[in-house]
Amino acid sequence: MTTVTLFDKPGPRARKRHAVMEVLSLAVLGAAGFGVYRVLDSHGEFGAAAWQPFTQWGLWKLLAEGLGNNLRAAGVGMVLSLAFGALLAVGLLARRKAIRVPCRIIADVFASVPLLLLLYFTSLVLPSYGLKLSDFWFLVIALTLYSSAVIGDLLRSGILAIPNGQTEAAQALGFSGLRTMQLVLLPQALRSMSPALISQMVILFKGTALAYVLGGYLELLRSATVIGTYYSRSLLQAQIVAAVVFMIINIALGAVAVAIERRERRRQGTLPSPDQVPEVMAEVPAG
Amino acid sequence: MPILSGYAADFSQGVLVTLELSVLGWVGALLLGTILTALRVSPIRTLRAVSAAYVTVFRNIPIPVQMILFVFGLPVLGIQYSLFASAAIVLVLYTAPFVSETLRAGLNTVASGELEALRALGFAPGPSMVHIILPQAFGTVVKPLGNVLITMIKNTSVAALVGVADLTFTSNKASVDQAQPFIIFGGAAVAYLVIGLVVSRLVASLDRKAAFSR
Repeated sequence: MTTVTLFDKPGPRARKRHAVMEVLSLAVLGAAGFGVYRVLDSHGEFGAAAWQPFTQWGLWKLLAEGLGNNLRAAGVGMVLSLAFGALLAVGLLARRKAIRVPCRIIADVFASVPLLLLLYFTSLVLPSYGLKLSDFWFLVIALTLYSSAVIGDLLRSGILAIPNGQTEAAQALGFSGLRTMQLVLLPQALRSMSPALISQMVILFKGTALAYVLGGYLELLRSATVIGTYYSRSLLQAQIVAAVVFMIINIALGAVAVAIERRERRRQGTLPSPDQVPEVMAEVPAG
Repeated sequence: MPILSGYAADFSQGVLVTLELSVLGWVGALLLGTILTALRVSPIRTLRAVSAAYVTVFRNIPIPVQMILFVFGLPVLGIQYSLFASAAIVLVLYTAPFVSETLRAGLNTVASGELEALRALGFAPGPSMVHIILPQAFGTVVKPLGNVLITMIKNTSVAALVGVADLTFTSNKASVDQAQPFIIFGGAAVAYLVIGLVVSRLVASLDRKAAFSR
């Protein structure tokens, strides 16, 4: 996050004007902040009554359990979608049309359908076919369907960015097509795409909050709601705590993605890479 | 299929709501995103900080959380809108940071020499931003902005979480009522696919025009 200075160094008059505007905008910001404070305070949101439940250990345990479920679903979903995404990438690059075209259709369909629709689909359709899975698996399957499609395409473009010489060298050394993919191309694609993959992880983690609709699955947002039903005075507080926790984790993941991307940039030249990923795409997980 | 005949009306109604949310959300997100970008590059430190803070907060809180907080949390404070309006507002609040970040990346590509030239020609910062810099910034990020738009269209489905009868909501309801989940969800998937395809075609043709002008 660099700040661009769009304009020249200001002269003395501009500096004075900026100082005035600085003070003015601080005043407006302060007034707005005070307004929000007044609204919150007049409803007693800072009062001891609203925060009292948070002194109980069990309530934090409930929130932690919810968060654990979010993280678990995102983690399992990520591992599964990396595996299926790699398979899909191979399929997308297949020479035979009979393999490539169906893979293309799968990738396009699942990448362009909303996650919530997939979640409704898995939680409604799978049970009616006798698959009595837990809500956790409905969520993970929905996440995997969506994310495999995205990761498949990511890895595909990662592989295409690798110079042809690598494949030729591998073949000259006697690697089979599959081995070339597995030992030479995929590892490099995984590496060069790692910032985008972590962005995808953020999207998955954000998506786990959709499991709220399942009702029975205790994820963080649901935990906050459950707290709200027991302590109706503290619903807003619980929701805000949940939101802040989500925010902190996503900021951390985002920082990791940026750090990895920077490291990859430094390695440039030794690896084919992030040039292929426009910066915008890698840094902005638009989930 | 006679069972599904009653569903056609619901289905088209759902598509309509999804489209309405998309249009409203996108107009709002573009506006707010542009304002955030302008604040982000302004010489006033407070405004830069406000923009950065907004982007960090609203980008990193998942949209389902924002939706639930807005619809079920804020009424505690006496702040309450209709479900549809709430969904549209949350969509704008969540999407604007992505628009802003994308736009900022575009702004970075506008050569700083141009700014110096504008300065030399006597353009004030404001007008040079509005007339020269921003149009170019928009031009270079047509495609990434299109991706943000397509993601936002998918995110309209989160409105179903609070009971707005959009395409996702009606599909789910119909599948529960009519026990034809494959056909109904398939139809909804096709509808989302078509919307996405149309939008990406439009974006591509817009991008060609923008590429021609740059």
